[in-house]
Amino acid sequence: MNTAAEGNSTAGMGGAGDAGDELLRRAQEGDTSAFESLVEREQDKVYGLALRMTRSEADAAEIAQDTFFSAYQHLKDFRGQAAFGSWVHRIAANNALMRLRHRRVVEKSEGALVEPGFTDLGILLRPPEQWERPADEQVIDAELGSAIERATDRLPEGYREVFLLKDVEGLSYEQIAEITGDSVPAIKSRLHRARLALREAIDQFYSEK
Amino acid sequence: MGQFSCKECVDVLRAFLDGEMTPEEEAHLKAHLGDCPPCVDFVEQYKATPGLCKRALAAKMPEELSHKLKAFLRDKTKPA
Repeated sequence: MNTAAEGNSTAGMGGAGDAGDELLRRAQEGDTSAFESLVEREQDKVYGLALRMTRSEADAAEIAQDTFFSAYQHLKDFRGQAAFGSWVHRIAANNALMRLRHRRVVEKSEGALVEPGFTDLGILLRPPEQWERPADEQVIDAELGSAIERATDRLPEGYREVFLLKDVEGLSYEQIAEITGDSVPAIKSRLHRARLALREAIDQFYSEK
Repeated sequence: MGQFSCKECVDVLRAFLDGEMTPEEEAHLKAHLGDCPPCVDFVEQYKATPGLCKRALAAKMPEELSHKLKAFLRDKTKPA
């Protein structure tokens, strides 16, 4: 697993830009108000990632606190080749995974993955619903948003974490392998099945509308 | 291997989008898509799913928690 000081690889997330670089420089020189500004920029994303991974508001709050404190402690070691945001997101992902590993023994059983059905000849059992407009142009209404949240929460843990780290946070397969300790082929397989399950959930949402 | 079935088409979608398929596999996939409108819809939806989920899952830290976080960090970072 990564330590907080390992901020020298790039992640696929947006950087903070020149203003962020300046804040980072000032924060590294001990300007606590600059550090607070960096925290404010990233806190929603860090909290959101932790919340989705752990499905617990209390855990997400603690993870956010631990993440930013850890970032502060290692700020001087941060070499700045990755964006500050990418770096703290990876710390948050590590913290969330450690918490999940600890509580795994008491975790309630999770739903099975929902996947598309096929005939014996490999033909889709049910044609996809019409999502009206290309989904990436759609405004997410509250009902669809809730359906997606529920479907994400139902994913088995190892699938949910891979989906969140790759498709929501934008980490590379190699970075996820480094964080989770799983192999890249296993991560790719889980990502595909998680996407299929979420696509099914969205399709189900439209079939019931 | 001949033209893909719907199942084979679905099975390779991640590899297809990541550019990991051989030209031969890609040709089989495209041949299937040329004959199967439901799979064309399926592929479009599979491609759209991550972006849709990303937007749906965006969370905002509750204001009260944001204040607590700020107070915690101020306490931890104040000069000794």
